[in-house]
Amino acid sequence: MTTETTVDVIDKVLGLGPSSPLLALREQRAKLKHLTQTSYVAALHPADPRNFSYAERATLAARMAALWASQELLAHYRDLATTEGASGDVLSIADPAWKPEDEASRLAVILRHVDLVTKNPKAATRENIEKLYAAGLDDRDIVTLAGIIAFVNYQVLVVAGLKMLRDN
Amino acid sequence: MSDAVHEFTLDALEWHPYVQPVDLQKATPEQLDALKVTPSNTKVSAYVLVLAQETEMLAERSPLFNDIMYSDGGLSRGGRELGALAASFVNHCIYCAQVHANRFIQLEKRPEVVDEIYTNGLEADLGEYDQALFNFGVDLTAHPDNVGVYQFYHLRETGLSDLEILDLIHSVAIFGWANRLMHTLGEPHRKD
Repeated sequence: MTTETTVDVIDKVLGLGPSSPLLALREQRAKLKHLTQTSYVAALHPADPRNFSYAERATLAARMAALWASQELLAHYRDLATTEGASGDVLSIADPAWKPEDEASRLAVILRHVDLVTKNPKAATRENIEKLYAAGLDDRDIVTLAGIIAFVNYQVLVVAGLKMLRDN
Repeated sequence: MSDAVHEFTLDALEWHPYVQPVDLQKATPEQLDALKVTPSNTKVSAYVLVLAQETEMLAERSPLFNDIMYSDGGLSRGGRELGALAASFVNHCIYCAQVHANRFIQLEKRPEVVDEIYTNGLEADLGEYDQALFNFGVDLTAHPDNVGVYQFYHLRETGLSDLEILDLIHSVAIFGWANRLMHTLGEPHRKD
């Protein structure tokens, strides 16, 4: 597979080398560190990507990282998107300012949902889920999308918190 | 059926999904494994049955959540619940807040902390230690792109070790995850 599973993504984006005190601290919570990495693989490069291609997942993640100005994760997910073969409209997803021409398309509805649940989850209602069904997503698609959004936001918060520890 | 609850409450709630949960009778072996269903444990919440639609993620998420909230050492269990509560207040996850506010009370025997948060929300006026944890949780959740360095120093001044701060970061972050599932995929109703 193209997604590196042996390199811890958070260590990588924060540049934590073998002598880093923060790396040693993270190792004190080795189990959750490992499960954070396996959750990353489950969200970005699961065995069965079904209706969300690896490229689409990587660009959605890049978009969320951009929405939170998480430069480290944005750079990582842009690279991953390229590795996963993103091109055309799929590559454009990474730019939060970009919208598909057809505002009623599956992709347009998905992006509005991603943006809302990333930046303002408290505003989400049943109606937002109804819109996903109307755009052709099934039950599993909706849970998959929610899982990708939720994981990347978790990762953004962990990286933001760890940066405070690294730099202060 | 009772109406959906849209205001923070400590009353017992049950979560009603907007999407179809997995039918336990028709679950695949992978789903049963991720659900950790055993002959002696066949009662699975609607929330977990919804997440079982995406088995591979659920199989990693459940043990991750448990390790973040329940691992030995580091930040107290109550401290982690306070991080969960701060996140859930910012993200307005009524159900998550109810569960973790009650758990905080159960663990810490200090209902006045929860009372203050339920009365004044994000402006809650707490004792120094609780305030430092709560404010950091609010800040990290609301704008991870701009966490106040002041909030971070406040944690250090309060005497938290690096491991305790790490545990707090994870307890807040895992609710950035949980809130985005629970609050967006369903809604709470009062238990009859």
